[in-house]
Amino acid sequence: MKAVMRLAGVVCAVGMTLGMSAGSSADTAPAKAPGATQQVKIDNFTFAPNELTVSAGTTVQWVNRDDIPHTVVSDDKTTFKSKALDTDDSFSYTFTKAGTYPYFCSIHPKMTGKVVVQ
Amino acid sequence: MPKEKKDEILYDHNHDGIDRRGFLKCMAWAGTGTFCVMKGGVLNSFSLSRLEEFDPSAMKGELSFAQISDSHMGFNKPANTDVVGTLKAAVGKINALKHQPEFLLHTGDISHLSKPEEFDTVDQILKGSVAKQVFFVPGEHDVIGDDGKQYLERYGKNTQSGGWYSFDTKGVHFVGLVNVMNLKAGGLGSLGAEQLDWLDKDLRGQSASTPVVVFAHIPLWSVYPQWGWGTEDSAQALGYMKRFGSVTVLNGHIHQTMQKVEGNVTFHTATSTAFPQPQPGKADSPGPMKVPAEDLRKLLGITDVKFKRGKHALAIVDSSLEENNQSAQYD
Repeated sequence: MKAVMRLAGVVCAVGMTLGMSAGSSADTAPAKAPGATQQVKIDNFTFAPNELTVSAGTTVQWVNRDDIPHTVVSDDKTTFKSKALDTDDSFSYTFTKAGTYPYFCSIHPKMTGKVVVQ
Repeated sequence: MPKEKKDEILYDHNHDGIDRRGFLKCMAWAGTGTFCVMKGGVLNSFSLSRLEEFDPSAMKGELSFAQISDSHMGFNKPANTDVVGTLKAAVGKINALKHQPEFLLHTGDISHLSKPEEFDTVDQILKGSVAKQVFFVPGEHDVIGDDGKQYLERYGKNTQSGGWYSFDTKGVHFVGLVNVMNLKAGGLGSLGAEQLDWLDKDLRGQSASTPVVVFAHIPLWSVYPQWGWGTEDSAQALGYMKRFGSVTVLNGHIHQTMQKVEGNVTFHTATSTAFPQPQPGKADSPGPMKVPAEDLRKLLGITDVKFKRGKHALAIVDSSLEENNQSAQYD
C-alpha cells in the first residue's frame, strides 16, 4: 500500500512540474533567470501579465500603453509607488526580497496585479 | 383649455408636473433639455415647458447654478485633442444661459495628471464665465502622487482638512464631499470615517425642510462597481440625508448623464467637457470613448440647475455642447 502511495505521490509531483512549465496562461508567467528585466504591459485598465513570478533580483518594468494615465502602487503604499504614468511612460522596480507583492493603480483602484518573487 | 403641444403634460395627477406616460417622449428628448427620472421603476419625464409656471416678479429667492465636470485639462489623445476648446465651449454655453448661474460647481477631474499648468489653465478659462464663483471637489486625477496636497493648496482654503465643506445660499445647503483620497486596492470611491463623522454633525444642524445639494466626484450610488463607478461607504452618508425633504446628489466621473431617484434623493451625474466614456458594460474598460469628430460635442456638455422655493426637486437640465441654446431654456 505504501509503495503505491509513494508512486502516486511522485506521479503527481511530475505532473505538476510539467503543468507549470508547459502551461502559460495569458494571466501568469513563469519565473525566468534573474538579471533579465520583466515587463508588465498596462492597457485597457489591465496589468498584463496580471500575476508575474520572478526570481529575486529581477527588475520589473511596467509600461503604460493605455490612453489614460495609471500608477503602480504596492498595496501597502510604501514598498513601491510610481508617479503618474501617461501613455508610453514606464516605471521600474527591482525586487530583491522573496515574497508576494500585490499592487494596484491608485487612480483606478479596481485595477490590481501581483508580483511573486521567489 | 391650453392648446395641446407635443411636449405638454397630459396627465398631472399628482400636481407635480410629472407625466407618467413620458417614456417614449423622454427617450426622444434625451439631450435636448429634459429631466427624466426613474421613480419606483417607472420612467417619468419632466416637461420643462410646464415646470416653471411662475411669473417673473416672483424671481426673488430663486437660485440658479451650473455644474461642469471632468475637464481633464492635459488630456490630448484621439478621443479629444482639444480639451481647452471644449471647456471654453462649455463656458460659452454657460454664459449664454438665459438666467445666468450665480456660481459653478466643478465635480472634479479638473486636471488630467495633477500638473500645476493644467490647474492654471482651467482656472484661467473659468475666469471667463459669468458665474461669480466656482466651487470644486477633486477627482482622482487631481490628487495623483501627492495625496491631494496641491489640490488642497489651490482649492482647500475654506474647507476641512480633507477638502470637504459645506455652505448655504438662498436657503439651500450645499455639501462638497471628497471620495477620491486614500483609495484601496480593488476598491471603489471612499469617504472615510472622519468625513462621515463631519457630515453627520454638519447635517444635524439643518432643518429637514432645507433643500440639500451634495456634490462629489465619484457617484454616491452603485452605477457600475466593476469599473469603480460607486462609493464604498456612501450608504452611511445617505443615511444622514434620509430625513431631508429634498436631496440632490450631483456627481461626475462617468462622463455621461445618468439619473436615479430614491425616495427624496435625486442622483444625477454630468457629462464631461473633455471626452465621453462608454455606458456600463458596453466596452472592455471605462476609458475615453472615441466617436466621429462630428459627434463629439453631442456627448460633452454642462448641467444647469435651478431651485424654486416650494418645489420638491431641483430642476436639472443637461445640454450638450452641440445644442442650440434655445432648447436648454425652460421658462
